[in-house]
Amino acid sequence: MLLANNIRFNRNNINILKNISLSISSKKIIHLKGDNGIGKTTLLKILTNILKPEQGEIFWNGQNINKNPTKYYKDLTFIMDRKTSNEYLSVKENILFWHKLCSSKIKKREIESILSLLSLDQYTDTPVGNLSYGEVKKLELSRLIIEQKKLWILDEPYIGLDNLSMDLVTQTITNHIKLGGMLIFTSHFSPKINNMETFEL
Amino acid sequence: MYILNSILALSKRELKINYRNFSDILSIFLFFLLGILIFVFSVGPNTEILNQISISIIWTLILLSNTLSIRKFFQDDFDDNNLILFHMSGLSYELIVLVKIIIVWVCLQLPFFIIIPIASILLNIEFQNLKIIFLSFLIGSTIITCITAISGSMNLLNKKNFAVGGLIIMIFSIPVIIFAVNLVSESNDIIRAQINILLGIMLFFLSITPWVCSICIKFGLQNK
Repeated sequence: MLLANNIRFNRNNINILKNISLSISSKKIIHLKGDNGIGKTTLLKILTNILKPEQGEIFWNGQNINKNPTKYYKDLTFIMDRKTSNEYLSVKENILFWHKLCSSKIKKREIESILSLLSLDQYTDTPVGNLSYGEVKKLELSRLIIEQKKLWILDEPYIGLDNLSMDLVTQTITNHIKLGGMLIFTSHFSPKINNMETFEL
Repeated sequence: MYILNSILALSKRELKINYRNFSDILSIFLFFLLGILIFVFSVGPNTEILNQISISIIWTLILLSNTLSIRKFFQDDFDDNNLILFHMSGLSYELIVLVKIIIVWVCLQLPFFIIIPIASILLNIEFQNLKIIFLSFLIGSTIITCITAISGSMNLLNKKNFAVGGLIIMIFSIPVIIFAVNLVSESNDIIRAQINILLGIMLFFLSITPWVCSICIKFGLQNK
């Protein structure tokens, strides 16, 4: 369970976030909504302990994430707005790197089925630099399955995807929630999923 | 055990990326060799002067060519948030820095052991002196790699001016130059003392670099 308490954040002496409190428990989804520049990504960065809030604390399973980040990161997948795949490595090399980096328990055969599901199987040996924006985004989202963590924090997961892949993302999220996971995401698009709370910033 | 897996995966990735960008590395070595060539031409046909300054030329150019590699350390991984990803997989920033230092040393400094003999032919350095140059380079290159890592991580805090990084390297490496350059002409006792001093500087930098870099990276991520 993630609990954020009374968060306040300033940047360049301008107050961006004020009195933000939210909590999320198992099988729940929070959809962060708001205009451009209102601080959605900043809030996600605070929730992942990359930025330190001016005021307020965040707890994961009762422990302050600032004091115990490694334990928190063991349960967290954070997908940011920019790609983390390397443009000089091929799709397969990137995926195998993530697989090894987080000591994932997923089998090689499952990775191949994810790739064919995302229709990336024809590009396995293509460098990521040659892929289109949407394909890179899909590759990025495959990290959700590879890492198999409990809490997902996604920054604009739907951006740049075609309809088929959007449905796939929604389905993946639904499955994840069914298995007891949690999700916080920002998006200007509202998918239809059960147990979803909308949080207006 | 998990950490060891992650470290192995990270170093494999870094080696692969460096291998794919081989032209970057090659241009650094070409810079080194061409710089030496220019020195040879500018000094002129007087071999006596060249003999006296040959080792200083080598060290100056090693230093200058290292300033070209500042961006190789953290900039790309910082820009596309990979440092956060590595950190979230359980590696501390200090460990990431250490892995990067080792990989960059292997990719950028190890080939100098082939290139320095070529340069020494151009500069008319005697063959028996090469041993001492190698020894001082082995220690000195580690120090310079650490200094480059520090200046690379400091560059994360400053988005515009990349020349500052080069200045930091030059200032910090003055002691290395002082103790490494005149090794060849000294007697055995003094060589041993100077090597010990160089080793001391190396241990100092090896121990502080991970901490300094990780602090800079954390600050950089917060001001991004």
